[in-house]
Amino acid sequence: MDVTWITDLIGNYAAVLPMLILIVGALLLPATNYVFKKRLPVTSIAMVIVLISLVFNILLLTGTVEDGGVKSAFAHTAAGLFAYDDFSGLMILLFQIVLAIVVFVSGESNETTKLHFGAYMSLLLIATTGMMFVVTAVDLIGIFVGVECVSITSYALVALKRNDPRASEAAVKYVVIGGLSTALTIYGISMIYGALHTLTIADLGLALGAYGYSWAFILGVIAMVAGYGFKIAAAPFHMWAPDVYEGAATPVSILLATGSKKMGLAVFIKVFLVMFVAANALSGIDNDPMQYLFAIIAAITMTIGNIVAIAQHNIKRMLAYSSVAQAGYILIVMAVMSEYALTGGIFHMFTHVFMKGGAFLVVGALIFAGIGEKISDYNGLAKRAPWLAFAMMIFLMSLAGVPPLAGFTSKFVLFSGAIYGDDGVITQWIWLAFVAILNSAISLYYYVKVIRAMYIEKPAKDAKADLKLPKTFCVAIAVCAVLVVVLGIYPAPILDLCAEAASVVFAI
Amino acid sequence: MIPMEYFLTFGAILFAIGAFGVMTKKNTVIILMCIELMLNAANINFIAFSAFLGDAMGQVMVIMTISVAAAEVAVGIAIVLNAYKMRKTTDADDLTTMRW
Repeated sequence: MDVTWITDLIGNYAAVLPMLILIVGALLLPATNYVFKKRLPVTSIAMVIVLISLVFNILLLTGTVEDGGVKSAFAHTAAGLFAYDDFSGLMILLFQIVLAIVVFVSGESNETTKLHFGAYMSLLLIATTGMMFVVTAVDLIGIFVGVECVSITSYALVALKRNDPRASEAAVKYVVIGGLSTALTIYGISMIYGALHTLTIADLGLALGAYGYSWAFILGVIAMVAGYGFKIAAAPFHMWAPDVYEGAATPVSILLATGSKKMGLAVFIKVFLVMFVAANALSGIDNDPMQYLFAIIAAITMTIGNIVAIAQHNIKRMLAYSSVAQAGYILIVMAVMSEYALTGGIFHMFTHVFMKGGAFLVVGALIFAGIGEKISDYNGLAKRAPWLAFAMMIFLMSLAGVPPLAGFTSKFVLFSGAIYGDDGVITQWIWLAFVAILNSAISLYYYVKVIRAMYIEKPAKDAKADLKLPKTFCVAIAVCAVLVVVLGIYPAPILDLCAEAASVVFAI
Repeated sequence: MIPMEYFLTFGAILFAIGAFGVMTKKNTVIILMCIELMLNAANINFIAFSAFLGDAMGQVMVIMTISVAAAEVAVGIAIVLNAYKMRKTTDADDLTTMRW
């Protein structure tokens, strides 16, 4: 479709149009809450705003612009700060899907605040806007400010579940660890700026080729990897994640586990992948040390995530550790640094949204129905809520990577990326693929533990037979379950988009 | 002109003091102050590099860092206050309800 009319209307700011819509919405929502004083109308208005932004993003992502008779895909830079291309467009789409799910269920959840609902919605929109700015940023300033925009709003979102001592404790831990990661990041950026004399991402690779590895550069990269390692909860910086996911309201946990984490991975891809691949291609800089650094982080992250998850009794903590492990799988992209692996990585990010988001939605629906967060509370759930138990089984099986579900397909592409390079078989990373597959087998154990509790164990004696389930949660769970199955059987359309995005990242 | 190394050493020492404080202090308000120290260490690096490279981007980054630090402390103090109302303590060592 031709989207020239959008650029005619607002010029180069079309690149940030999806964000502008959300910012306007975020400013409006507290006022609507003040007028209506009920959660339903505020949720509806927020949902409409998110959908408008989503529609415009899909138009920009799939549309073409005509310039002097030449048709090309939409790609613009707004004010020299934010550039829209296929990669950022696809990541924006991912964040908008996450936001749509979260906004849709927030209004009915009994964990979200009632009094400050307008502010809560506004913070959700601002957090997502920050994520979008991160994936479109063209220099490290944009990335840093975008990440902080997400971090600071997420501290407030976690703390907004007031009157719960666990939430206040989680918020304090999150602020302290988030602040530490911010300080590490900014120190790392300052060192990289000194070593490479530039903050523009596209120039970093060329500058690295010109100046080579120096002690300041290595210090900067290590500090920055540590700082953003906190954001994606890569081991050994993952300790905050289970506490925060447990303490926060379930919709906020969904945003953090599926949105905020993908933003950290997008930063790794945008900064380090582009920088080292460009330096290697342009000046023949040896990027083996960085690849091994990321390979070791990936292997440790997935192993720790999966092994600690086995010992968990709280389902939210178990899902949090499983998120840590999934981030480890996606870090394989950073170790391999090939276009095919990146395609798999982006695809896995998408499927992870639906399977992890779906599992958290089931947890949220059951908390609404008065069932606790312990895995033993789920005993005999298949008799009390058969459809919900079935959906949970689909999500957990998909997370473990059982065919034909989405998790299997994306893991297949991702892990084979460690074996097949862009030009033939590479033997260097076969051990990493092996570790990842071994970890998938370990993860099956704790996922099946939940399924066993739901299907084989008998329910507690005082359990009521029928559960009162929230409608919006059920709709969202159904959509996620259908998408998990469909993406597993027919991944071609979304896989094509992912391949296009990966080729944009590698077109330097 | 003062050599570059002096600024970098000063920044590194400031960063180390801040990091040491974050690791060892018990009071969460003091921990937040130590994080501010670490952010300012990075600011000193940026200013020094910016002056020596003759490039204005470093100074832009410093302005951004200062505003981000202000926002972070504002939210951080509010959260610590909320936790204090709930548990009557600001000690980081008492935050032990959730472990592993």
